[in-house]
Amino acid sequence: MAEIKLKLKKPLVFPLEAESITPDNFAGKSNDEIKKLVAYSGNEESTLGQFFNVSGKSGEKDELKIIIDGDISNVKRIGEKMTAGEIIINSDVGMHVGNEMSGGKITVNGNADDWAGAMMKGGELEINGDAGNYVGAAYRGYWKGMKNGIIKVKGKVGVESMLWADGSVPAKRFPTLICGSAGSFLGIHNNGGTIIVEGDIDRCAGADQIKGMIVVKGTAPKILPSFKKIGEVKEIELLNGEKITGKFIEYAGDHSVKKNHSVVDKKTGELNKGVNGRLYIAA
Amino acid sequence: MSLDDVILLTGRTIDQGVALEGGKTTMENVRAAAICAFDSDDFKKLDTLVGTPVKIITEYGEVIVHSTISEEGPHPGIIFIPMGPWANQVVNPDSQSCGTPTFKGMKAKVEVVKSGKVLNALDLINTLKEA
Amino acid sequence: MAIKKIKTLYDVICPFCGTLCDDVEVDIAENKVVEVRNACQIGTKKFFSSNPSEHRYETPMIRKKGKLEPASWEEAIDKAADILTKAKRPLLYGFSSTECEAQSKGVELAEMLGGILDNTASVCHGPSLLAKQDVGQPGSTLGEFKNRADLVIFWGSNPVHAHPRHLGRYSEFVRGYFRKDGRNDRTIVVVDPRNTHTAQIADLYIQVKPNEDYELLNAIRALLRGVELDVEEVSGVPMDQIKELVNTLKTCNFGVIFFGMGLTQSLSHHRNIDAAICLTRELNDHTKFLITPMRGHYNVAGANQVFSWNTGYAYSIDFSKGYPRYNPGEFSAVEVLIKNQIDASLIVASDPASNFPAASARNLFKYPLIVIDPHETPTSANADIVLPAAIAGIEAEGTAYRMDNVPLRLRKVKDAPGESISDKEILEKLIEKVKEKRGE
Repeated sequence: MAEIKLKLKKPLVFPLEAESITPDNFAGKSNDEIKKLVAYSGNEESTLGQFFNVSGKSGEKDELKIIIDGDISNVKRIGEKMTAGEIIINSDVGMHVGNEMSGGKITVNGNADDWAGAMMKGGELEINGDAGNYVGAAYRGYWKGMKNGIIKVKGKVGVESMLWADGSVPAKRFPTLICGSAGSFLGIHNNGGTIIVEGDIDRCAGADQIKGMIVVKGTAPKILPSFKKIGEVKEIELLNGEKITGKFIEYAGDHSVKKNHSVVDKKTGELNKGVNGRLYIAA
Repeated sequence: MSLDDVILLTGRTIDQGVALEGGKTTMENVRAAAICAFDSDDFKKLDTLVGTPVKIITEYGEVIVHSTISEEGPHPGIIFIPMGPWANQVVNPDSQSCGTPTFKGMKAKVEVVKSGKVLNALDLINTLKEA
Repeated sequence: MAIKKIKTLYDVICPFCGTLCDDVEVDIAENKVVEVRNACQIGTKKFFSSNPSEHRYETPMIRKKGKLEPASWEEAIDKAADILTKAKRPLLYGFSSTECEAQSKGVELAEMLGGILDNTASVCHGPSLLAKQDVGQPGSTLGEFKNRADLVIFWGSNPVHAHPRHLGRYSEFVRGYFRKDGRNDRTIVVVDPRNTHTAQIADLYIQVKPNEDYELLNAIRALLRGVELDVEEVSGVPMDQIKELVNTLKTCNFGVIFFGMGLTQSLSHHRNIDAAICLTRELNDHTKFLITPMRGHYNVAGANQVFSWNTGYAYSIDFSKGYPRYNPGEFSAVEVLIKNQIDASLIVASDPASNFPAASARNLFKYPLIVIDPHETPTSANADIVLPAAIAGIEAEGTAYRMDNVPLRLRKVKDAPGESISDKEILEKLIEKVKEKRGE
């Protein structure tokens, strides 16, 4: 397997925008060519070679593994729009890591800043520390966020993670977030995303959720008033068919959303709990 | 005497608006914005006179301001400092990544101060510079 | 005593808050404001503050040996342009208390410098703009509300203090075409954690717990759709009162929500607005309902307009790649200061040292600081260069946008003291000098 190693030369003064660090861009290039790829610091256009030592040997993008060392907590947009290959980051990483990626895998052996995996279309993003706000979220003004792929965060994710997630069972797109714990407004405007939280969540989970699933194995401080309790379940079938066993209380919602399918039946006055989003909290 | 568990709100008051237009570095601005308005029942718990300087402490900092009784009560458990440099020493700078800091709704503690005084705007900002 | 010749100007526009009152009368004698009629307390004070005082800058100032000393325009502009051209990540901030023409020059300068451009919306109604981008906003001009609204809701806003003449001109006491009896023809609802002076004159006051507006909006939206809720109270408000409110909302003829900092500056920021806008949208299934933010600075709406038509984005813009990019939280002034990501700043008609949280204000002073301001503020007192400005709307004319995005022409009622010139002219001088230094 081809491997390229990047090592940060010296600490950064300003954030470095390095969307050129992807297997797609590195594939088939010599180390000198990689050094000449563009990066931005402050208002200056610069090159990767100015900031990183480059070693190893490149190859086909599917086979290529990029390993990054040094404190790159201020380097943004690594793995932007990558389609294949692998990136391993042995540090904290800056904003927008793996945003709009559609294939391949990124592993962060540290914490990630905001917008990790924003608007992902596929592939896998694994963060072995905490992640900032807006993990797997839609960018400002977009109504369709993460479409497919999986984000795994060992620690906590910040507020508004999986904002406007956009999954579809018929199209077999299952945007998924698995995290240790979560901040407020988890899965807000969720439209078909799957979120599994191993620990606790904060307030307002699933706000404005139309469809999708949020499974919380820990506790929630308070559930939005518009969520209706359905009952207790022993097994949950996720949208992609996988199953989770354990005792959960099942809620349907968000019933405040107009677009929701949770209409009130005019004849019976009963709420149709059938199709809309679900929130499961460990019993 | 002290209050241990109150919520701090900040915002515009007309006096503060008039004072800042009249000069941000004036004593008028100190009188208008370096104040903390208490619910009258809460203030009784402090067992002190209106106008006594109090120290407001939050997770994010502390500041000394004059105490006063709120005209916009009752609001038990809530204290109010007009927007301005004094309030900004104790507000939550975190914006949850939306760009706008959380100027309202911090958990706060209040202590009646024995020593220490209310600084004017320039001196207060200078303490930031030196820190 | 010699009789002074008094000149009276009518229909002057007040450059203080977003209400932009356009019926102010100002008496001028010997280039001084001697009387102001019709304006509120704050507006009146603003007109008087244009008179010479110890807080007013009349010449450019440069910091020499730790002290601000008067300097020539030539020297001050040269030094300022020097700082800006050398900077790799300059911050240009403010712009909300000046006229649109100056704002436009600000955008031009920021683009040339590859800097970060932000206006004060980023600490006040920025969240409203974010929510608007997500879910739209059904709004209208203030005249519609005045003539038609029979239900007015102030949510997290306190116009008695912040927009003193709003109630009299547009929303509460004023007689409208279909609301001939003024206050008696309107129902006023106030939602606020404090029993504010606005709440004290309302028909229904709802005391919500701080930071829990979202839950209340959520409950109202669900009730509106006929969903029975399993809880007895939401955000400290008993269910009976919420149901009464929902009924009031549904049965009015024309309702409007005016919202303020209570929603944008508390936890959940733009999501509060998101929910309030969705509520407004859904209320239109039952009756006519609109929603409008109570903008603070008189031309912050204009700053958003000007930035938008020049760059595509309303605030928090980064030009470092040569083209505009936008992301509040990444490029907003408070955040870049907290994270210490700038190396110089130009502040136009604003006072971030006072108005930003301590954690970000303190980093402002670490780097060269240029301030364009008519008055001494905690920001300008700590600046390296102060460029004295004429007060827009009093000493310089220009365009300003009211809170409902109606453009109005600001008037010049008197001359600026000393060597002060308008913000626009100062920014033009800076642009010229920056071009010169770059050999363009």
